Amino acid sequence: MSELGEAPRTARSLDALFRPRGVAVVGASPDPGSPGHQILRFATQTHFPGAVYPVHPSAREVAGLRAYSSVLEVPGPVDLVVLAVPARVCVEVARQIAQRHDERGDAAAVVVVSGGFAETETPEGRALQEALLEPLRSRGIRVVGPNCMGVLDTHTGVTTTFDLGTYPEGGLSLITQSGAFAISFLQWARPLGMVGLAKLVSVGNMADVDLTELVRYLGADPHTRVIGVYMEGIRDARAFVLAAREVTPKKPVVVYKAGRTELGARAASSHTGSLAGRDEIYEGAFRQAGVLRAHRVSEFYDLVRVLEKLPLPSGNRVCVCSAIGGPGTICVDEVAASGVLQLAHLSEAVREALRRVLAPTATIGRPDGYLDMTGSIRAQTHGEVLRVVLEAPEVDAVLLLTTPPAFLDEEEVAEAILSAYRAQPEPRKPVLPVLTFGDTVARARRRLEAGGLPTFEFPDAAVQALAQVVRYARYRARRSS
Amino acid sequence: MPHPVIARALEQGRGFLLEPESYALCQAYGIPHAPFATCRTAEEAVAAADRMGYPVVLKVVSPHILHKSDVGGVVVGLRSGEEVAAAYLQLLEAVSRAAPQASVEGVLVQRMERGSAELVVGGLVDPQFGPVVMVGSGGVLVELLRDVSFRLAPLDLEEALQQLAETRAHRLLQGLRGNPPADIRAVGEMLVRVGELLLAEQDIQELDLNPVVAGPEGCVAVDARVILRTEGSAGQLPLA
Repeated sequence: MSELGEAPRTARSLDALFRPRGVAVVGASPDPGSPGHQILRFATQTHFPGAVYPVHPSAREVAGLRAYSSVLEVPGPVDLVVLAVPARVCVEVARQIAQRHDERGDAAAVVVVSGGFAETETPEGRALQEALLEPLRSRGIRVVGPNCMGVLDTHTGVTTTFDLGTYPEGGLSLITQSGAFAISFLQWARPLGMVGLAKLVSVGNMADVDLTELVRYLGADPHTRVIGVYMEGIRDARAFVLAAREVTPKKPVVVYKAGRTELGARAASSHTGSLAGRDEIYEGAFRQAGVLRAHRVSEFYDLVRVLEKLPLPSGNRVCVCSAIGGPGTICVDEVAASGVLQLAHLSEAVREALRRVLAPTATIGRPDGYLDMTGSIRAQTHGEVLRVVLEAPEVDAVLLLTTPPAFLDEEEVAEAILSAYRAQPEPRKPVLPVLTFGDTVARARRRLEAGGLPTFEFPDAAVQALAQVVRYARYRARRSS
Repeated sequence: MPHPVIARALEQGRGFLLEPESYALCQAYGIPHAPFATCRTAEEAVAAADRMGYPVVLKVVSPHILHKSDVGGVVVGLRSGEEVAAAYLQLLEAVSRAAPQASVEGVLVQRMERGSAELVVGGLVDPQFGPVVMVGSGGVLVELLRDVSFRLAPLDLEEALQQLAETRAHRLLQGLRGNPPADIRAVGEMLVRVGELLLAEQDIQELDLNPVVAGPEGCVAVDARVILRTEGSAGQLPLA
């Protein structure tokens, strides 16, 4: 498929967004109830080493920082300018940014948080967006938005959002057409430490910087191990698929696609035309490009964090180790129904080793690949079982179901699991712990997550995530062979 | 340069290809189709059927008719010269009743093919994705089953086989209930060529091969429909 489109230009021009020497926030007012004020506060609360400059027409000082009356007045180098002022004012400021760029050579990137542009679907809104872009685009100044939350980079400490100041560092980068979608996920995952973030880009109207360019950029970003995309509609879907296809042999791209577009009327429709809903084409194109498509929001949440934490499995043979009967049965069902996973065929030597560590009441291998460890299991036994199973050459991945009862110390259980997981030689096999009962076992979950294992509340969700990961691992093996 | 049959259709302001023209296009891109002959009299039709062997099917050829069976323009399962001669007249009468303004250029005689599965193989140019190739369960149940899988063109054989494996029709091709397995590779090659055709012939909007009959000895298209991209209006719209 590589011969389909011309090679894109390199995305180095996006560096100014993530690694600016200084940031100017236009619209940083002294009023703590304004978004501009909040952006400025967040921008100064991180470890960003550069200067942050409030720009306000009259205030001398905002949030303890000296304010400047225009971007032209800001003394130090400013690579990134954030606009949080009404749309009409944005257009004026854009001209000043262009002037500054011409005179001083900085101001290479602009994040336009403000709305009131093309998203209004009015001629005025569209005209304002054009007027905003004209002086910037002609100079190669990159624009994120308008109508967006902009960027957050946990490594450099840059943040331009008013909803999320900072986040624990990690390997996930999110590109989103909805700031709320991405931030909901991050806030949901935060209390248990379920994921670490590298970069977040809320693209808004995509007047300049779009999903396609960002996928390619993040594909080359050393801090990004997984790319998550929330997509609504894009003009050139083929270009996006081609960019994703370049990235997926190196790192996973997970997409949640919302908004199923109606097909335009056709003069004369054959079968192919009537069967080709746009969504079916997305489905096929994503598979062709090795993109993992999440069909439910919860699946998106699960996939990105599993891929952020775990190594890829080298095969599809799963061992289900359960201390909780019913959820174990559910897992076995889901493995059978997945169409891609299979229960591991345990050798007699492995069974014998398991008999030595498990209680006599435990059942081993009924069905093959399934262990019912029973609720009487001790904390250390979790680790002993896991060591045996992970050493077995016939096992590629482990689903471990346990919910520490009150008589066991949650953190001891978690430590036993983690030390068995870490004792593996590289490349490690993935382990997905399922701890039912949500955050009543929060201590165990938090410890496991901090130790690098993604925890699940629901057994079926864990199996489905693993199945998608196995499909992706197969795609990658095929592409790299 | 567009293929001559496409150039001619566009010149005539026609928004689609006649069935024999569609086969000529298929031929040019190595897409196999069932043997056929276009006839102008019942005698010609009988002679053609005798030559290619029974059973045969008759189909009307008209620049005004796209959906032939809707106007009684298709008669299947003809097993002898007498049946062909009678069906020929019956077909022309049915068409002239249902679509009196349609001009009939002839009647296509085609050998009926047997195989393990009937597939739909198609392609279209999507405004956001460009050329796209489709395969799935074909025949009369195509719209009901909606068992289809898509890929962007171009695609290689390996990708085409992956695409095919995503359909339920794939099971049928592997040989269900004692049926011999079909030549799956041949279907994959057909998909690859449909992709090549769509990339090369930029005047095509949609291509529809339904059914494609697949069996142990390969696969052939037994019906073909090609819709062209025409400026503004759809050109000359078919009556049916």
